[in-house]
Amino acid sequence: MLYADTVEANVLVHKPWFVAAMFAAVFAIFFAINLPETAFGELMRPVIGEPAESGVYGRFASALVIAIILTLNIVMIGFVPIHVQIGVVWIELLVLFLAFFYTFQLDFPFILQKLPFMITQGVLTTLYVSAVSIVIASVLAILGAIAKLSSNGFAYAIASFYTSFFRGLPLLMQVYLIYLGLPQLGFVVGAVPAGVLALSLCYGAYMTEIFRAGIQSIDRGQWEASRSIGFSFSLTMRKIILPQALPVIIPPTGNQFIAMLKDSSLVSVIGVWELMFLARTLGQKTFQHMEMLISAAMIYWILSICLELIQSRIERHYGRSKVR
Amino acid sequence: MKNSIRLIALATSLALSSFASPANAGAVLDRVMEAKTLKVATDANWAPQSFLNEKNELDGFDVDVAKEIGKRLGAEVEFITPAWDIITAGNWSGRWDMHVGSMTPTKARAEMFSFPGIYYYTPAAVGVHKDSKAATLADLEGKVFGATTSSTYEAYIKKDLTIDAEGAPPFEYQLNPGEIRSYETSNTALDDLRLGDGVRLDAVVSSLLSFNEAEKAGYPIKVIGDPVFYEPLSVAIERGDDEFAAKIAEAVKAMHADGTLSKLSQKWYSVDRTTVN
Repeated sequence: MLYADTVEANVLVHKPWFVAAMFAAVFAIFFAINLPETAFGELMRPVIGEPAESGVYGRFASALVIAIILTLNIVMIGFVPIHVQIGVVWIELLVLFLAFFYTFQLDFPFILQKLPFMITQGVLTTLYVSAVSIVIASVLAILGAIAKLSSNGFAYAIASFYTSFFRGLPLLMQVYLIYLGLPQLGFVVGAVPAGVLALSLCYGAYMTEIFRAGIQSIDRGQWEASRSIGFSFSLTMRKIILPQALPVIIPPTGNQFIAMLKDSSLVSVIGVWELMFLARTLGQKTFQHMEMLISAAMIYWILSICLELIQSRIERHYGRSKVR
Repeated sequence: MKNSIRLIALATSLALSSFASPANAGAVLDRVMEAKTLKVATDANWAPQSFLNEKNELDGFDVDVAKEIGKRLGAEVEFITPAWDIITAGNWSGRWDMHVGSMTPTKARAEMFSFPGIYYYTPAAVGVHKDSKAATLADLEGKVFGATTSSTYEAYIKKDLTIDAEGAPPFEYQLNPGEIRSYETSNTALDDLRLGDGVRLDAVVSSLLSFNEAEKAGYPIKVIGDPVFYEPLSVAIERGDDEFAAKIAEAVKAMHADGTLSKLSQKWYSVDRTTVN
């Protein structure tokens, strides 16, 4: 619900036609997949006997069991309050996910042995590179947005050229171009500065457009009213426009921060020992790269969740006016 | 007005050209000797030549060779690990002085690099899945091959390999691939091969050493036929500094002569790969 209201409605997942349709769809899908051949077939062994020889009966029984479990699960979840619903669904999805990883038969002692180095070297470098880039990108974005909204043709031309160019090239290509291209001009930049430069320029371009759109979303009447009572350009911006634009700007900006965290992995190609580089490298000698890739994936995810939480905090702060 | 524009253009190009100084004779050597550090580029994904060991430090045959060369030059070795295609792209611009990462001297590479010291030879082999019905290389006619991108193995499959080094044994193209897939590292190719015979790949061309390592790690693969070619592997530096090249050549020659290289080869491969055999 966008806004909570008091209009009464029947719960969708309790309508008989919906439950029946869901049951039929799940049953059909799992009947089509040859379930007895998977690990689930082993679980069904007491009912269907030898999975490989169970034939159509085995498939029928397996699909029926799964369809009943899933449908019951969803109907039950429909009865509880929304907070419990969210929690239960999260936990269920997480368990399914972990079960999926569990089937890889990972070598957990190996992961534990490598984890400290992945954090002290990899996570620190990743955070450092992304944090510096985010700060520079935000500054670039503010400048770019103001330039794009100004009536100065020169500023507008530079800003629009900048956003067009850096949004128009793949980030990986920018990393290569800056790392290999700048020395041609005589500036031999190290791998980390080159990576930071590429990330900042690229994300600055995206965020310029976000900031510009946010500022433009404020009704022009606000601007005219402010100017007509004698506020200057900068006072109007600071006191009238930006405070209203911020709640619009923050969700997509948070998105950019999360994307930046993961795109910082692209600088691994120029030899920066950040998380992605270590994930690809540490397990190579012993051919345990699945272990390292999954650990790094989990670390990236946890970092993103932290950013998501911070973002929702900030959003709640700026959304105070919408709470009744 | 026109004149002033021309003047600005001239000044800019002058300023730029004074920044960009190509490697002069002895320049790299001077830099190394002055800083007492030898910056070496190598791959971090190429076990057992170079990889991260249990202590999370670079280790392996190439790494040991680089350290030994540094010792003989009287300089501390510092490692840098850019992606392979960044190393082979050239224009190192002083970021690193030397590359010890099992590079094969080829004609194309010789335009940019000089190869002062061949320090060992690897047999390149063809590997297939354990269940493959192919028994000889001829059985792989028209199949899907995988190899590391811009490697000698890929060049070999494409019949475009010219090894440009003294003492490189002659070879002939024995494969007629149907399709060639390029990978960033040979391990990714092996991961695709392990999925099953013909699932994504029918065969991989790579170093015999990596096949042996993978088999040891339990990969369901096997090597068929004899090695398709032997590649000499050399230290690489950028063209232009003959004094530096001479210094490295001297060090590598001495390491061949006093048995240091053979000893290192025994340590990492359990065989002496420093001569063609």
